[in-house]
Amino acid sequence: MSEQRENDELTGTLARATRLLHDEPVPRAAWREAVLEAAERADVRPLAWSVRPMVAIAACAACLILGAAITYGVLHDRMENSAREIVASEGGSVRPGHLPVRFAVEAPNAVHVSIVGDFNGWNPAGLPMHLLSDGRTWEVEVGLAPGRYAYAFVVDGRLARDSSAAESGTDDFGVPNSVVLVGGS
Amino acid sequence: MLVRAVLAGDPASFALLVDRHAPACLRFASRMLGNREDAEDVTQEAFVRAHRALARYDEQMRFRTWVMSILANRCRTALLHRHRRTSRVVVDGAAVDEAVGPENGDAELRDAIERALAKLDPAQREAFVLKHVEMLNYDEMSAITGAGVSALKMRVRRACDRLQVLLREDGYE
Repeated sequence: MSEQRENDELTGTLARATRLLHDEPVPRAAWREAVLEAAERADVRPLAWSVRPMVAIAACAACLILGAAITYGVLHDRMENSAREIVASEGGSVRPGHLPVRFAVEAPNAVHVSIVGDFNGWNPAGLPMHLLSDGRTWEVEVGLAPGRYAYAFVVDGRLARDSSAAESGTDDFGVPNSVVLVGGS
Repeated sequence: MLVRAVLAGDPASFALLVDRHAPACLRFASRMLGNREDAEDVTQEAFVRAHRALARYDEQMRFRTWVMSILANRCRTALLHRHRRTSRVVVDGAAVDEAVGPENGDAELRDAIERALAKLDPAQREAFVLKHVEMLNYDEMSAITGAGVSALKMRVRRACDRLQVLLREDGYE
């Protein structure tokens, strides 16, 4: 794709103005160092496979024991907490201490709907909603710890607030969002 | 390949990736957020997240497209959570009037297009900048934004129409 062809799509003044936006900023040396240091601190490179067979076997055995212990602990917790049992029996994937919150929006002509919010880092790909059999309602259930969460729906790439939310509005840039309060008891 | 070298434990290769892609990333973030400081913050976040997720990088995708998708997401989050400046472009009118020289017209026009960009809907601004500043094709834009090609074309078209109106209102025919 050539730059000239792309600019041909724009009219004269807009094309000239847009070309003025093409200059690339020169990264500051201090910023570059900060990026590299921060990346190094967050380093999670995969380990090189240089372990001996016996060490690997011991590690596998330790993992099995640890997994069994965790599984036992989780099951034990569930038996002790009836609320958690209810969530589990309903097929929810809600973590202990979290409450299932159902979000729904009517978007009969939409192709893809998801939900973004404080609870998923506003990531549009994180929580896709599924279309119900009525052909117009999109739904998703999210396990949330008690608290206050701002959220919005993403309907075919466009943000939309929840008209049924108790608290709803837009931020400083006109981006719609709504607020849900999840109870603590 | 630089990504494989980083995963093999060579930090210098990550520095090369930053050097190669940071200018374009900073440019995109600056156009999206309207100021250099916020652009540096989100670009740093994007590179740190990219470094952390490098093992999941799909070599079928250009690295620039991949890191730009992370950056675009950070920019959206920054815009959604922004509660600070609502006016991001400040023009000193007196200084502009006094300024002389052949580049003065370009400086004014640059201010005008930056002001106009800031007034666009964020999704339209994102599509316009990816298309006409970053010079990406629609498939790459779709991979970055998660939006469909037809929706992106519509956003770019509307952005162009709106920018032309705003430039005209600013005295540019």
